[in-house]
Amino acid sequence: MNVRESFALALSSIWNHKIRSILTMLGIIIGVSAVIIVVAIGDGARQQMADDLFSTDENAIPLYFEQTTYEENGEMMWVEPPAVTGEQLDAVKEVAGVKYVLGTNSGWGTMNHNEHTADMEIIGVDNQYFIAKDLTLLEGRRLNTRDNDSYSRVAMIDSLTRENMFAADEEAVGAIIDINDNPYKVVGVYESTLPPEFRHMDEFSNGQMLMPRTLISMMFGSPEIDTINVIADQPDNLTETGFAAAEKLTELTGSEEGMYVAEDMSAYVEEFDSFYMTITLFISSIAGISLLVGGIGVMNIMLVSVTERTREIGLRKALGATRGQILRQFLIESVTLTSLGGLIGIGFAALVTAVAAVFLPFTPIINPVVVIVGILFSSMIGIVFGILPANKASKLSPIDALRYE
Amino acid sequence: MIRLSQITKTYGSGSLAVPVLRGIDLEIGDGEFVAIMGPSGSGKSTLMNIIGFLDKQTGGTYSLNGEDVKQANEKQLAGLRNRHIGFVFQQFFLLPRLNAQKNVETPLLYAGVSKKERSERALGLLEKVGLKERTGHLPSELSGGQKQRVAIARALVNQPTVILADEPTGALDSKTGAQIMELLTELNREGKTVIIVTHEEEIAACTDRIIVLRDGLIVDDRKVTS
Ligand SMILES: Nc1ncnc2c1ncn2[C@@H]1O[C@H](COP(=O)(O)OP(=O)(O)OP(=O)(O)O)[C@@H](O)[C@H]1O
Ligand SMILES: [Mg+2]
Repeated sequence: MNVRESFALALSSIWNHKIRSILTMLGIIIGVSAVIIVVAIGDGARQQMADDLFSTDENAIPLYFEQTTYEENGEMMWVEPPAVTGEQLDAVKEVAGVKYVLGTNSGWGTMNHNEHTADMEIIGVDNQYFIAKDLTLLEGRRLNTRDNDSYSRVAMIDSLTRENMFAADEEAVGAIIDINDNPYKVVGVYESTLPPEFRHMDEFSNGQMLMPRTLISMMFGSPEIDTINVIADQPDNLTETGFAAAEKLTELTGSEEGMYVAEDMSAYVEEFDSFYMTITLFISSIAGISLLVGGIGVMNIMLVSVTERTREIGLRKALGATRGQILRQFLIESVTLTSLGGLIGIGFAALVTAVAAVFLPFTPIINPVVVIVGILFSSMIGIVFGILPANKASKLSPIDALRYE
Repeated sequence: MIRLSQITKTYGSGSLAVPVLRGIDLEIGDGEFVAIMGPSGSGKSTLMNIIGFLDKQTGGTYSLNGEDVKQANEKQLAGLRNRHIGFVFQQFFLLPRLNAQKNVETPLLYAGVSKKERSERALGLLEKVGLKERTGHLPSELSGGQKQRVAIARALVNQPTVILADEPTGALDSKTGAQIMELLTELNREGKTVIIVTHEEEIAACTDRIIVLRDGLIVDDRKVTS
């Protein structure tokens, strides 16, 4: 009798005791599916988090000034970040892996035009900003170096502002608008970066404006550059590139009271990983107990089955079955039982994760390695817990087994 | 050729020892047709089981075709059962979830015969025992006589030299029993050694030789004169 025939025999024997088999497999099913589901949900959440943190369309990492001295004469002290110049940022741009360094500032303005009033964010930019952010020019022109050098009182408005404040047939480029009671000239219109579903929600959704950063600095008395973003050539190297850029900038500014740092996004992921590892261990140990109990259940059922089938075993021996063949038959049966449990567990896990994907804000990812380990592990349980009953069956003396009532 | 000399069988030990066979000397040649008779508890089944390698004697020697089988290990015994012996039991002992054909094929599984050949041999034998139309039936769908025919087909499928039938007609009415005896007689005519245990004189009368046991000893061994 070859393995395939033993397997067929095992399947028919399991099929003949459907309910009993399902109940026996329950522990295995629960154990295997629990591990797969937990890992899938964890991986999905982690992937989502990584996507959010390293959103590739942004591909920018901010540099912060972090003060290193806090006290002077026993008093708490606030260190003013050093003034950063455009030339310094141009030097940082030479750092390997850096594609752009964006130095910006910003302010809030109340815009009045055509009887419309709106508060909106104004970003102070240089000539690189538009290209680096990959913005789309709809009308007019972009801001250039001359605008910054000569403190031109010009602005670019986004498409949302144009929609809100201008009539459809009204020429926007060249129009004079009023911001904080001062006149500025519109030189261009660009496509709003706000996704449609977020428009018209709050002050951020009123629209946005770009102005020369020198002008913003003058209007609001703020530094010319107060926000620095580094854009990397390779999205994968963003964090490392940020570190290198921060180091360079610290060196250039020569501040002794603090340093520039790049926010290490991977730290968040690591934190999540350790949290998630704890949960995975917890659930896995429960799953492990479930598998153990399942294995003992399988052993119990196999022992019952050996007793029930004592005569069958005796007969098979009388017909020429060797001890090894009987052992193999029962072992294959218990392995089939637990492997089947493992397979059902995988199917169940697939179902649960598919349903969970609908309700969760992220998509669980089933890890094929866990699936394979699940199958192997459940088969192993079949061997470990099947060996005792199978051995018992194989050792029955044929005549005693045949006479068994 | 079956040769038993001074075969004893004792169950239990010490003060609880029950001697069941107390020194059996017996020779059965190839192609003989033998009936074993005797009162209940005289040790007939025990003797059959020893001849069929289902049980081991306590003492004495048993040789099959000139070979002493005392030295045989578990695996070799399984092989001897598989190749040389065909069993027919009073209670049929068919596997309830397998159909007639699969039941007949079972010994071939353990002999490592290919699926195609298994099926051919099983169908051929079922036809021989007159169950051509019943090959797909489960044991529960067969009459007692039909079940015993399936069992006989199964006993024959490995082309053994010896057929051991322990009260093969015991669970059947006399008419069906007679049919089974006809089948066994035919097998003997084809050259098989057939040994049956029976209580019935008419059944024993079909054979060529009657051996009578009493209290674990052979008390009579005679040729049947028809
Ligand atoms: N496993 C055993 N343990 C103890 N005694 C046993 C065992 N098997 C059989 N015996 C005893 O051996 C004796 C012979 O039994 P056996 O089955 O050979 O008798 P038998 O001649 O076939 O009887 P029957 O005609 O009723 O079938 C009986 O007394 C029985 O009780
Ligand atoms: Mg008996």
